[in-house]
Amino acid sequence: MFQDESSPLSSSSSPLQVFSMMSLSPNLGSPYPWLRELKSEERGLYLIHLLLTCANHVANGSLENANIALEQISQLASPDGDTMQRMAAYFTEALADRILKAWPGLHKALNSTRIALVSEEILVRKLFFEMFPFLKVAFVLTNQAVIEAMEGEKMVHIIDLNAAEPAQWVALIQALSARPEGQPHLRITGVHQRKEVLDQMAHRLTEEAEKLDLPFQFNPVVGKLENLDVEKLRVKTGEALAISSVLQLHSFLASDDEHHRKKSPLGSKNLNGVHLQRALQMNQSTLGELLEKDTVNGCSPSPDSASSSPLSSTGSVKIDGFLNALWGLSPKLMVVTEQDSNHNGSTLMERLLESLYSFAALFDCSESTAARTSLERFKVEKMLFGEEIKNIIACEGTERKERHEKLEKWIQRLNLAGFGNIPLSYYGMLHARRLLQGYNCDGYKMKEENGCVVICWQDRPLFSVSAWRCRK
Amino acid sequence: MAAASSSAAFFGTSEENQNQMIKQQQSSTTPPSSSTAPQTKKKRNQPGTPNPDVEVIALSPKSLMATNRFICEVCNKGFQREQNLQLHRRGHNLPWKLKQKTTKEVKKKVYLCPEPTCVHHEPARALGDLTGIKKHYSRKHGEKKWKCEKCSKRYAVQSDWKAHSKTCGTREYRCDCGTLFSRRDSFITHRAFCDALAQETARHPTNDLTAMGSHHLFGGNHHQMSLGLSQLQAHNQPSSNMLRLGSGGAAKFEHLIGSPSNPSSLHNMPGSMFFMADAANQGFHQDHQSPHGNGPYMNKALHGLLQLPYLQGNTNNSGANSTNLFNLGFFPNNGGSSSMSAGESGGSSAVNLLNSGFLSGNQFNMGDQVGSGLSSLYSTTTSMQHESISPNMSATALLQKAAQMGSTTSNHTSSLLRGLGSSSSSGMKPERQVLAANFGGNFGGGGSSRGGGGGGGETLRSQMENDDNNLQGLMNSLATANSSIFGAGHGQDQSNFVGGFAGSGGTQVEHHGNNNFSNVNEGNKLHQNLAGSIGGTDKLTLDFLGVGEMVRNIGGAGSQHGINIGSLNPEMKSSAQATSTQQFGSGKLV
Repeated sequence: MFQDESSPLSSSSSPLQVFSMMSLSPNLGSPYPWLRELKSEERGLYLIHLLLTCANHVANGSLENANIALEQISQLASPDGDTMQRMAAYFTEALADRILKAWPGLHKALNSTRIALVSEEILVRKLFFEMFPFLKVAFVLTNQAVIEAMEGEKMVHIIDLNAAEPAQWVALIQALSARPEGQPHLRITGVHQRKEVLDQMAHRLTEEAEKLDLPFQFNPVVGKLENLDVEKLRVKTGEALAISSVLQLHSFLASDDEHHRKKSPLGSKNLNGVHLQRALQMNQSTLGELLEKDTVNGCSPSPDSASSSPLSSTGSVKIDGFLNALWGLSPKLMVVTEQDSNHNGSTLMERLLESLYSFAALFDCSESTAARTSLERFKVEKMLFGEEIKNIIACEGTERKERHEKLEKWIQRLNLAGFGNIPLSYYGMLHARRLLQGYNCDGYKMKEENGCVVICWQDRPLFSVSAWRCRK
Repeated sequence: MAAASSSAAFFGTSEENQNQMIKQQQSSTTPPSSSTAPQTKKKRNQPGTPNPDVEVIALSPKSLMATNRFICEVCNKGFQREQNLQLHRRGHNLPWKLKQKTTKEVKKKVYLCPEPTCVHHEPARALGDLTGIKKHYSRKHGEKKWKCEKCSKRYAVQSDWKAHSKTCGTREYRCDCGTLFSRRDSFITHRAFCDALAQETARHPTNDLTAMGSHHLFGGNHHQMSLGLSQLQAHNQPSSNMLRLGSGGAAKFEHLIGSPSNPSSLHNMPGSMFFMADAANQGFHQDHQSPHGNGPYMNKALHGLLQLPYLQGNTNNSGANSTNLFNLGFFPNNGGSSSMSAGESGGSSAVNLLNSGFLSGNQFNMGDQVGSGLSSLYSTTTSMQHESISPNMSATALLQKAAQMGSTTSNHTSSLLRGLGSSSSSGMKPERQVLAANFGGNFGGGGSSRGGGGGGGETLRSQMENDDNNLQGLMNSLATANSSIFGAGHGQDQSNFVGGFAGSGGTQVEHHGNNNFSNVNEGNKLHQNLAGSIGGTDKLTLDFLGVGEMVRNIGGAGSQHGINIGSLNPEMKSSAQATSTQQFGSGKLV
C-alpha cells in the first residue's frame, strides 16, 4: 500500500475501499429477510459496503460475485427510502448497466423502447433549479459579475450556453434597465437544443424588456452545444460580450481516447483490478508480497497521471477547441459554473468513490429539502442524479459526458486557454450568501477560493462559480 | 453589415445629421492623430471584426474633448459643428460649402477610444457614436470634475452629475426582506431573486422556523427535518463558535473562523452546551449571552431543542433514570435554552442535576447521554456509538463513518460494527489499552475506556481531513472522542471511564464555583481547564488558543498516532500498519 500514498486514487478513497474489504459477517450470506430488519444506520453502512464490494467485482469482471452483491443490495436499496437507500438504488442501477454493456445486444434490447423525453429532462432541471439554491447562487453571482463588467457599456451582448432558465435574465434585464448611467441595448443569445425552450425564453424576456422599455433582442440558436457554430452567435462590433456557461463545459471533456486503453466495457480491469485485488488480499498477504506487487504495478503507466494534467494530449482536444472558439469572441466576461467534483477519474473505482461522496451530499440536500414522498424529489433524484450517476459509472469514452472536475482544474485549463480570472466581487458574494442564508438550512455553505466561489453542502464542495476575461 | 445595423439602431435620429457632417469633415481631413489602419492593427480575424464598410476613426484626446472643434481661420471663433462653421465662413466672404444630402449610401463610422489600454481602443470594440465615445472617455479616463455636494461622489460627465444630484439622498430602497439599498440597480437585482424565491416560499409552505427574522423571503426551500439528525448536524459548525466562546480571545479568532456573519449566532447554543455537558456552568452562559445571543436566532435554538425529545426518546435506555437523564443530558446539550433564558431556574437546576448526577450512582447513564448529545450535535463524522439516536443518519455521515471504519480497520472489524450485533472480544483488550493510553494523553477520560481505540482513530482522522476548517475539525474530534468515551459504557470498563469523566467534571465544577466565570479572562481560564480535563495536555490547550499552531500540532499528533497504532497493536498486520500510516500522512482522506 505504500505506493498509494502518491496516487490520488487511494489517498482519497482508501478508507472506504478498505471498508469494503472488511468482513461484515455474520451478515453476508445470511438469509435475506434478516436484512430488512436493519436499522437505518446499519443498513446504510451495509449498503456502502455492498456497493463497494459490488463495484470491486464489476471492476474485476467477476460477474457472478457482482450479481450476488447486486441481489443483496436490491433487498436493501429503495428509491423512496432514506438517503442511503435512495442513493444505493441508483448506484446499483448504474453498476448493473455497466455490466450489461458487456453484452451490447442485451443492453440495446433492454433499452430499445426507451425514449429520451427532452421535455421531462427540462422539467427536471427546472425542479433542480427550484429545489436547491445552487443554480440560484450561480445566477446571482453571474448577474452581478455581468452588471459590474458591463458598467458604462451601451451595447451588451450575453451568450447563454444553456438557455433554459429565464429567471436569471429577467433579473438581469431589471438590473440593467435601472442602471444609473442609463440602460444599454441588450441582446441575449441563447443556445439550446429545443426550439420550444428558446421560444418560451424569448417570449418571457421580451415581455420583461418591453415592460421596462429596454431595447432588447433575443437571438435563439437551436442545436446542441457541441455542434455550435460560433458564427451563429452573431457577435457584433462594438458590443461588450459576456458568456454564461452553467454546467456545460465538462461535457467537452469527453473523448474516446480511453478506448485505446480499455477495450472491455468492464474496462478498468487491467488497471484498477490489480490495485483492488491487492486490497482484497490485504488480510492474507505479507508486507513483502505487497511491496513486490507494488513495484510491478508501479511500472505500469498510471491512468491517474493522464487525467491529472488537464491539457495532456489525451482527452482534452474538444474542450480546447471550444474554449479557443469562445476566446476568439473576445468576451469581456465569461462566467463558468461547474460541478465541483472529481468525477472524471479514469478508473471505475475512482469515479465510484468520488461520486459516492458528492452524491451523498446531493441526496442529503434533497432529504433536507423535500419530503420522502415528494414526487418532485423522486424525479430529480431519478432523472438528474440517477442519470448522472449512471453516466459516470456505466459509460466510457465519448458516451461519458458527466466529467465533472474540480475548480482547480478548470482554473488551469481556462488559464491555458487564454482567460484571466476576474475575482467575483464582494457585493456579489454578499448577495449569494444572503440567498443561502435564506434557505434556513445551515448545511449550505459558500467558500471563496481565490476570487472564485465554491458552494458546498456541509464541507463537501458541490458547485463552483468563476469569472473570466479574455487575456490578450 | 453587422456593425452597420447595430449602429443604426444605436444612433438616435437627432444625431444622424451630425454624423453625416462629421463624415464630411473626416473625409476631407485625415484623422488628426494616430491614424489607424484597422485591418493591419488587428492580430487576428475575430468574429467581432468591424465590417469593412465601416470607417474606423481614431481621434486624439484633445480633438475628442474639444468643445468647439471647428475653428474659423479668420476670427478664431470655434464651432461645435462643421455646418455652423460653413455658415459662419459665409459672413467672412470665404468659400463655403454646405453638405448636400446624398442619395449615395452613407458609410457608417465607429470611433476608437484614444486610451491605448482601453478595450475600446481595439477597432473590433469601437463605439458607434461620437457622443458616446466622448462620454466614455471622460468617464473612464477623464478627470472627475463634478462633485455632488451631498454625498461627495464625483463625476466626469456633467450630465451624469446632474442626474445624480437630482436624486441623491432622496431615495432609499428597502426590500420586504429588510435589506436596504441606496442604489436602485442593486435593489432591483436583489428584488428579482427575492421575488422569485418568495414565489417558491408560497409553493412550499414554510414552518414557523422560517418566519423568523428577515429571511422568510429568501427561505424558499426550508423544510423542517423533523427527525433531525441532519438538522442537528447542520449545526455542527458551531464548534468554531464554541471555541470563540471558550477562548475569550474571540476577536482574534474571528477572521480565522471565517464568516462570523453566518446565521450561526445561534451556535452559542451547542457551544455552551459543550460546556454545560462538562461543567454545567450556567454562569458561563450568562457571561456570553450578550455577544452571541441574537434575538431571532434564539427561536431556532429553541426549536432545535424542542425537537430533541423525539430523538432522545429512543436513546433513554435506562428506564427509571430516563427523566432525570433527560434533564441532564438534554438541557445541557441544548444549552441555548439556558443561555437564552439565563437566570431562569431551568438552567440552574440543570446544573444541580448534573452535579448530582456526578455524585450519584447514575454516572454511567448520564455520561452516555451527554456523549450521545455531543456526537449528534457536533459532528457529521460520528455518533456511531449511538446508532439508536440517529434514525436518519445522513448519507454523508454514513460514508464518513464507513471511511473511518475502513481507516481504523483492524482484524477486529466486528467491534467497529457493534451495531451489527457483535460485541467486542476480550482479545481486544490489550490493544485497546495501549491505544487508549496514547489517546488518553490527548483526550483525557478515554484512558481506560473501551471506545478509546476507535474513537481516537476517528479523532485523528477528522482532524486531518478538516484541514480547511481546523477549528471545527478539532472540536469535532473532541466531540468524537467524548462520544466514544461515553458511549463505551456497555462494557466492563464503564466504571473506569465514568470515573475519569466525573473527575474532570468535578474540577470543572469546582473551578466554576470559585470564579463564576464572570469575565472573559475567566472564560479563557475555564477553557484551559476544560482543555486540560478533556484534552489533558498543554499541547491541545495551545491548539485551542493559538489556531495557527493547530495544524502543525495535529499533523504531528496524527502521524505519531498513526505509527503508534500500528506499532503498538500486536495483532495488526503489517499491511494494516502501512495503511494507517499512509492515511494519517495523506492529510485529506475524504
